[in-house]
Amino acid sequence: MMTTLELFTVGGYRLAAGRSYDEATHLWVETVAEGAARCGFDPLGSETSGDVVAVSFEPVGTSVERGQAFGSLEAAKFVGPLIAPISGTIRAHNGEVVARPGLVNQDPMAHWLIEVQPSRPDEELALLLRDPDRVRAWFAAEVEKFERQGAITQ
Amino acid sequence: MTPLVQIDDQLEVSSQTSPDWVRISYASALALRFKSGRFQRPFDFGGINLLLTYDQGCRSDCGYCGLARSRQGAYEDKSFIRVEWPLVGTDELVDRMAEHEEKLTRLCISMVTHGYAYRDTLEITRRIRSRLATPLSILVAPPTLNEERLRALKDAGTDMIGIGLDAVTEELFRQIRSDVPRGGLKWDNYWNIVHQARDLYGPWKVNCHTLVGLGETDHDLIGIFDDLLERQIFSYLFCFNPEPDSRMAEHPKTPVRRWRRVQLAKFLLEECGLEPGAFDYDDEGTLARIHAPAELVERAVRDGHAFMTNGCPSAGGEPGCTRPMGSWRPTEAPRDYPWQPTDADRAAVLEQLHLDEILRPGPGPGPSRPPERWAPPAAGRPAV
Repeated sequence: MMTTLELFTVGGYRLAAGRSYDEATHLWVETVAEGAARCGFDPLGSETSGDVVAVSFEPVGTSVERGQAFGSLEAAKFVGPLIAPISGTIRAHNGEVVARPGLVNQDPMAHWLIEVQPSRPDEELALLLRDPDRVRAWFAAEVEKFERQGAITQ
Repeated sequence: MTPLVQIDDQLEVSSQTSPDWVRISYASALALRFKSGRFQRPFDFGGINLLLTYDQGCRSDCGYCGLARSRQGAYEDKSFIRVEWPLVGTDELVDRMAEHEEKLTRLCISMVTHGYAYRDTLEITRRIRSRLATPLSILVAPPTLNEERLRALKDAGTDMIGIGLDAVTEELFRQIRSDVPRGGLKWDNYWNIVHQARDLYGPWKVNCHTLVGLGETDHDLIGIFDDLLERQIFSYLFCFNPEPDSRMAEHPKTPVRRWRRVQLAKFLLEECGLEPGAFDYDDEGTLARIHAPAELVERAVRDGHAFMTNGCPSAGGEPGCTRPMGSWRPTEAPRDYPWQPTDADRAAVLEQLHLDEILRPGPGPGPSRPPERWAPPAAGRPAV
């Protein structure tokens, strides 16, 4: 199914409208068919990791809790866990990203990582940012923070 | 004038080659914010590594190297030490280094074997020196140099010279770097440059890179450490890490236990006064026993500097060139620590060493090398 992304720009980064953003993990969540949800990196999440060279995920069928690792990411000089923004059962991995991890850097909003069947969607989606004005304010502050830390290009 | 080694060159120049363009290490690109990203563990990093770049690439063909001439693929796509080296304009790089100079600790230009390498290294050295005071090393390509050229690089503001010997015996050097498909190097030429650089730059201003895991024995390694120590030349230790698609891509990485024991033996030899006779080997040249007081060895392990990156120091004697993840992937435990090892790091090292297997019980003979024949303290380590 092809979907058209409605994008808006904050601090030079393109974000997709209609998605929920997790402040702690820099992952987005998009509700898709049958109540399932897809998760992927927002542009700061991927960029501040560096050039991504590998991603791996827990097997399909695994139950993950919000705040727990559902996989791991390896970049040129960094490796770290991928932390679930919502709880649920993993329904699918994005094989395209596993095969070509650099897609996460090239266009993070267009490349989801995993699809889950949420176990507590009403409760947990409310913890994420969705209102465009709040997303803009949060993301602009994050850009400034990462610039101060020297984690993004000059 | 000392004759130069003939380099097989068909020189062409395009718009993005040295001296106007260079490659920089990925870590350098992060530090100077040419790239976004972060290190696995936050730490101060200021050792900027530059690499000359040419359309034809390096004219050498070393079996383990990512830049080897016969390694498949376009030169600009080749990895070096297993990661991308971003291409940047030299003047923009110098501007950026000047802007961030307060956090820079050491600069290093890595030459490649190419007919223009000396000319361009001298030019880049001058551009750097016109704007920055941060100490500058050059990792030289011996076939491109002679005594006069080494002197010119010194006059231009280089304070340390590195020679990438890598293979520590003549036979191994011949197998991996001389008798190769295209563009072989000469052991004697490398040593001539070592000696000339030592004469010109002085004690503890020259270093030889030695690579653990190419097929040498521990006996070979400790022998060359001692030889260089007597000449007041630093040995810098590197851990072989197979470069994909190189001729040695399938050669196994050095086991961590061996690597740790070599790091420890080198430190005991260079900075704790042990003589080569304090080390025993089995029939295959593998380190089998260290004759030393257990307390001395355990103190060296606790100190932690034995397991830090060997590299040129900053102006203040702190670790200058620390090459984070040069010998290990971020998914692996560090082989050489770019930071002072933490308690957890040292506990891991101790476990990896299995000291009980190599440390002869009892007090041991102790240090017998007089302090004036020790190496200066490792960067960042206060003199005892």
